Amino acid sequence: MEPLLAFFSEQFGLTGVLALSLAYAVCIGSLLGFITVYAMFAIWMERKVAAHIQVRFGPMEVGGWHGWAQSPADALKLLFKEDIIPSGANKLLFWIAPAVVFCGVFAGFVAIPFAAGVQIADLDLGIFFIVAIASIEVVGVIMAGWSSNSKYSLFGAVREAAQVVSYELPAATALLAPILLVGSFRLGDFNTWQAEHGWLIVANPFMWIAALIYFIASLAGCKRAPFDLPEAESELVSGFHTEYSGMRFSFFGLEEYVSMFLVAAVMSTLFFGGYTLPFNLLDIGNLPAPLHLLGVAVLVVKVFAVIFVQMWLRWTLPRMRVDQVMSMGYKYLLPWALFAVAGTAVWHVGMGG
Amino acid sequence: MEALEMYTTDDRADVYTEELKLNLGPQHPSTHGVLRVELKMDGEIITSSRCDIGYLHRCAEKIGENVTYLQFTPYTDRMDYLSSMNNNLAWSLTVERLLGVKAPERAQWLRMICAELNRIASHLIAFGTYGIDIGANTPFFYAFRERESIMALLERPSGARMLYNYIQPGGLRRDVDERWADDVLAFCDEFERRWAEYNTLLTNNHIFIKRTANIGVIPQHMVFENGATGPVMRGSGIKWDLRRDVPYLEPYDAVDFDVPVGEGTHGTLGDCWDRYWVRMREMMESVRIIRQGCRALPGGDVMDKGMKRMYKTPLKPDPGEAYVRCENPRGELGFYVVSAGETSPLRCRARAPSFCNLSLLDKLLPGTMIADAVAIIGSLDIVLGEVDR
Repeated sequence: MEPLLAFFSEQFGLTGVLALSLAYAVCIGSLLGFITVYAMFAIWMERKVAAHIQVRFGPMEVGGWHGWAQSPADALKLLFKEDIIPSGANKLLFWIAPAVVFCGVFAGFVAIPFAAGVQIADLDLGIFFIVAIASIEVVGVIMAGWSSNSKYSLFGAVREAAQVVSYELPAATALLAPILLVGSFRLGDFNTWQAEHGWLIVANPFMWIAALIYFIASLAGCKRAPFDLPEAESELVSGFHTEYSGMRFSFFGLEEYVSMFLVAAVMSTLFFGGYTLPFNLLDIGNLPAPLHLLGVAVLVVKVFAVIFVQMWLRWTLPRMRVDQVMSMGYKYLLPWALFAVAGTAVWHVGMGG
Repeated sequence: MEALEMYTTDDRADVYTEELKLNLGPQHPSTHGVLRVELKMDGEIITSSRCDIGYLHRCAEKIGENVTYLQFTPYTDRMDYLSSMNNNLAWSLTVERLLGVKAPERAQWLRMICAELNRIASHLIAFGTYGIDIGANTPFFYAFRERESIMALLERPSGARMLYNYIQPGGLRRDVDERWADDVLAFCDEFERRWAEYNTLLTNNHIFIKRTANIGVIPQHMVFENGATGPVMRGSGIKWDLRRDVPYLEPYDAVDFDVPVGEGTHGTLGDCWDRYWVRMREMMESVRIIRQGCRALPGGDVMDKGMKRMYKTPLKPDPGEAYVRCENPRGELGFYVVSAGETSPLRCRARAPSFCNLSLLDKLLPGTMIADAVAIIGSLDIVLGEVDR
């Protein structure tokens, strides 16, 4: 954001509200473009990963090479589909639910440092912001389920509401361990800290517990198997988005993949060095400005590694039951997350940190 | 109602929530066809359930009274469409008993091999779809890969992939080719390796065990009250298998195999996991039977000479009745036929195992959660084509 503002004032002499709104437009536009391209690739990748796990090929026809154009084609199809609103639905809620779901996750991207300087806003409470804003998605899901006037949708929404507390607590608690060590909520600080001291996941023997717990809880946050209870297609048909079709439906799909990126980016930044390389092989932060974009590549590679594991698990594991998810969240994840935080604190006090 | 208490805590007692009526089916991903279950829900917990069947009723029994004995064989294919061979076998044995003929020895052995191959194929579907019910999509594709090999094997003599119409009164429609038995043996070797994969993927998965153990427990008295048979009965620890206890084909006496029963490995005896595990082990027993069968396959004719002559005109059995029951993948399939000396039966009745097994459902569902309901329906492994006929 700041480099962009500086660029505007230097090159065009723009300042004030105009420059600010222009900068916002550029940021949001590029972010939306990035997200759309990413989501299409991720959906194609999911289908390919699933297919190869399931001894088949997946899309092979559209576009020629390994069905690369399948996702754009699907998106186009969804765009042209009739938009059906069930007759008994609450139209307003039904209409805005996909937007709420998407906006919550999309807003989280504001705080993600893609590379040194490539960040829309380096918020002081970056992690808090992401955890908090991503939870808005849950409100959208509940709105969607409630407004659909379908019992299956309602079940999906209620499950999501029941599930959210049980995974948000351990997720946020687990994140406290790296925060404790770095001493900052600012996501940019994690990159600089890890460039100096190495990856946080190996910073102490408790950190991998926190990483694992955050990963498990984030799976639930993205409504991915084995925690895809709000959708649970074998139980609730399609859960909260049963009644959705066309573009509105695709927003729920988009949201899932975008939130996968978000949690994977948080995980990469907090535990796996973010946009820096291990042992600071390439001091990306101190390279000349255009080469900062290398950091984006490093982060995206890490993010896709995490996303691959998410996909892998989804196509391997059965689904848990709603009470099992809750008891796991409260009885296992939360105590272990607290243990990891306490262990981190004790370890570093003991080590004289 | 014990299960209901499991989920109900004291602090809920003073909270009144509206009872929700939920239609599970007839179009639902997990009712294995067009089963409709009317559920009354208290939140996620089912308080009462009522099965509504008949969406796939095709008057098979009435049709049986209007077609000739031979013409009815394809209709049996379409009852339990996942184990057509076994249905053909039961029908053929019934007609043979009515006529007082017996299939030649080679036909008997081939019937056994085909029936067991079809049992594996049927259990593979049970395994695959059960994975989907529990939320794991991948086992389904693994199961279908092996089922594909079985269908290719059965297609060679019968010409059909699913609805074979291969076993007929008096024997078999035609003989298998000379390489068939070797290919079946090769499949058995391959399948044994794949079976181990399934167990790694699903059977021993912690979440899977959590989802199925102690769920849908069928005590032994309930088995007898509802006439449940097959893996549903054996899952509750009752060691009864018509192949062993009332061998309806001579080769079943000659081959060596075990009857797997549930042992309550991960919880209570007779839970979903036990039924699932019985099916998995039955596949291995079928492989054992097939191996012995292929090695001991005798030569000779596959169709009774007298029957061949009889086929030129429609069969006209002497007045009388016959009942034969066979161990199908889903339980005991029995055909009851009354002949009045005409070309078509006076009464043609099928005792369908899925129908009796499904009668357990209404007793199992109250007190469970909706996710358990899906697990229980899947563990009963019903085929609606057979429930409704």
